[in-house]
Amino acid sequence: MNRRDVLKSVALMLGGTFSAPTLLAMDHWQNPVSGSSAADFVVTDNQKLIIAEVAELIIPKTGTPGAKDAGVPAFIVMMLKDCYKTPEHVSFLEGIRNLEKKDFLSLTVSQKTEMLKQVENDTVEQMKAYQVQQTKMGDNEDREQMAAQVKGLPYWRLMKELTMLGYFTSEEGLKSSFDYVPIPGKLEMIKLKPNQKSFAY
Amino acid sequence: MNLNLKADKAHTFDAIVVGSGMTGGMAAKELTERGLQVLMIERGREVKHIEDYDTAMKGPWEFDHRGKVSIQSAEEYWANSRFGSLANEETAEFFTDDKKNPYIEKRPFDWIRAYHTGGKSMHWGRQSYRMNKKDFEANAKEGIAIDWPIRYEDLETWYAHVEKFVGISGQAEGWEVLPDGHYLPAMPMSAPEVYFRDTMMKKLNRPVTVGRVANLTRPQPWHTELGRASCQYRSKCSRGCPYGGYYSSLSGSIPAARKTQKLTVLHDTIATEIIYDENTKKAKGVRVINQNTMAVEEFFSKIVFLNAGSMNTAALLLNSKSSRFPTGLGNDSDQVGRNIMDHHLGVGANATVDGFENDYIFGQRPNALYIPRFRNWGTDKKDFLRGYGYQGGASKSDWKRGITMNGFGASFKEDMTRPGTWTMGFGGFGEILPDPSNRMFLDKDKKDKWGIPMIVFDAAFGENELAMRKDMMASAMEMLDAAGFKNVSGFNRTDTHPGLGIHDMGTARMGKDPKTSILNKFNQIHDCKNVFVTDGAAMVSSSCVNPSITYMAMTARSANHAVEELKKQNL
Repeated sequence: MNRRDVLKSVALMLGGTFSAPTLLAMDHWQNPVSGSSAADFVVTDNQKLIIAEVAELIIPKTGTPGAKDAGVPAFIVMMLKDCYKTPEHVSFLEGIRNLEKKDFLSLTVSQKTEMLKQVENDTVEQMKAYQVQQTKMGDNEDREQMAAQVKGLPYWRLMKELTMLGYFTSEEGLKSSFDYVPIPGKLEMIKLKPNQKSFAY
Repeated sequence: MNLNLKADKAHTFDAIVVGSGMTGGMAAKELTERGLQVLMIERGREVKHIEDYDTAMKGPWEFDHRGKVSIQSAEEYWANSRFGSLANEETAEFFTDDKKNPYIEKRPFDWIRAYHTGGKSMHWGRQSYRMNKKDFEANAKEGIAIDWPIRYEDLETWYAHVEKFVGISGQAEGWEVLPDGHYLPAMPMSAPEVYFRDTMMKKLNRPVTVGRVANLTRPQPWHTELGRASCQYRSKCSRGCPYGGYYSSLSGSIPAARKTQKLTVLHDTIATEIIYDENTKKAKGVRVINQNTMAVEEFFSKIVFLNAGSMNTAALLLNSKSSRFPTGLGNDSDQVGRNIMDHHLGVGANATVDGFENDYIFGQRPNALYIPRFRNWGTDKKDFLRGYGYQGGASKSDWKRGITMNGFGASFKEDMTRPGTWTMGFGGFGEILPDPSNRMFLDKDKKDKWGIPMIVFDAAFGENELAMRKDMMASAMEMLDAAGFKNVSGFNRTDTHPGLGIHDMGTARMGKDPKTSILNKFNQIHDCKNVFVTDGAAMVSSSCVNPSITYMAMTARSANHAVEELKKQNL
């Protein structure tokens, strides 16, 4: 029996005075939750090449820098380590391994694109299942415990979100994509000019 | 224990103010401007206006995690993280590490704190609405809890006083439900918002106005004198504003108090106890502990203002035990710590807006629309009491729309550099009824690292709030639908708890009768009149409007009364 179970049985003895969230809270102040599972998230060199290749296919170098130019591949790995837990680590690596199995790196550009389109289409259904699961979790009192067991966001969704975030908030990506206005100085309702870029602040 | 009991000159002031946030700052300003020597005690670290706003001018790429919260930060800021991304690298420094400052939840309570100069005024939502006449009468009319000992008219001039000083941008509308104040020019509405406002009035007879917000649209001389300039429309307020564009204690009340040269501020200094003198039957000072050195000291004054934030103010009262007040200072009624209120939120609706393709906005508006309470108002009658207001508005989608869209590659990349279509959404802020069983108290055994008993929360939403939330979602959907917007979807978060509105209040309420309340109509403890509580703890009911401007008005009124009473030698 671990400490959490001990606390739970104590709670039962007390007539269930403490709800599960309270036990979580007790965890918080008595023995803060252990660190993330960052150490478990290991990406091989070959997998890093796949991440870079997919990122560049999402945001390719055109007249403006691409994902690789903006340092997006390393950003993706860092973000997964620092900001995501085991479910996302598992789903992300699963997606990468699937591409590995299909020898993704040796395909032609158009074959790679076709393969990613297929992954994207499959993700639509995966996202629906993910959202149903999230809704079911709702205010479940064992939410944090459940969260450790459930499926994470699908690979493609993570890959696309982190590529776009990494690129459009990088200095290279942001300044070449948008009209960067760090200090607007005024607020005006305006009409769009033809082909006007978004403002970024 | 390193107890310094010297009642020397350096330890004696006319007034001690506990807390440097929204109301502590205002108390210090009002008291020093009336000639009092004031000691302000802040439990957290010192933050200096402008020079300590480390993240204010950073570009998005200068934040490692680009606005997301790392797992480590989420664990350190576990209560903050229930709100959302408060613990990210842009703003975390103005919130409080919950792991280092733990509290106990008998029932879950989302306690968001700000232990540093300026407190929560550093990152408040800045929405500033007066409570209306009926807000002050509702408890008495409906037989809920106890009656307010004051009415709207008692606060009216003080609302005006603080509104002018703070600087509120807004539109006077002449609506009884949302009394007008003194406003700087209103911020503009976007094209879809103008359409929405006109349509709501026409179809549902529901008024919509632009938010009344504490950002300077046209600074007045008394603002520029303090070094404050116009809002720059960056909407990065909660990083701290180097222009002083929005109001905080740091940009407003503390500089004003410093100008009098009568203000002394101690940082890293936690008030542990109010010292009660059994002979004079008054408080004679405050005992403190330095959060770093653990040194204990006492400071003395004629009057004490408690502005530590509702929950910490109540904790301080409960921890101040004496023969006269064995269960805590002013706690004859056993109401200290009870009647916790807040505003419940996390419920509303979103939609997509067709049209207005060529309309866009230059600059970021640090503000939204406001839809004042319409429930149980006028002829409207629902099966729950009180009501709610909505805040929200329209925005033109940016690159983030691409995350959930299908597509990638060169043309997708190009498409993401241009603005997309409009969306519109808003969320409610609902009134919470006072209930004595919603409470906080001090744990009998467990203490924090400074030897102060830990706070235990035991509160939850009641049936009235839960019934109201259903209506809040349904009405939001109804309004977006009536406007002809598409893909209307409602939301009603079920994982929120009291506290998340960061409007926690009610733990040392005012009242006419000492048997059922702690404070009199001037916010003085009934039987210890030189102690004033003027933060949210004093609230008797919560209304549904954002409360800071009301707390500040109460503080200014109470400070004025305190100085008058001192002059009459009544304190």
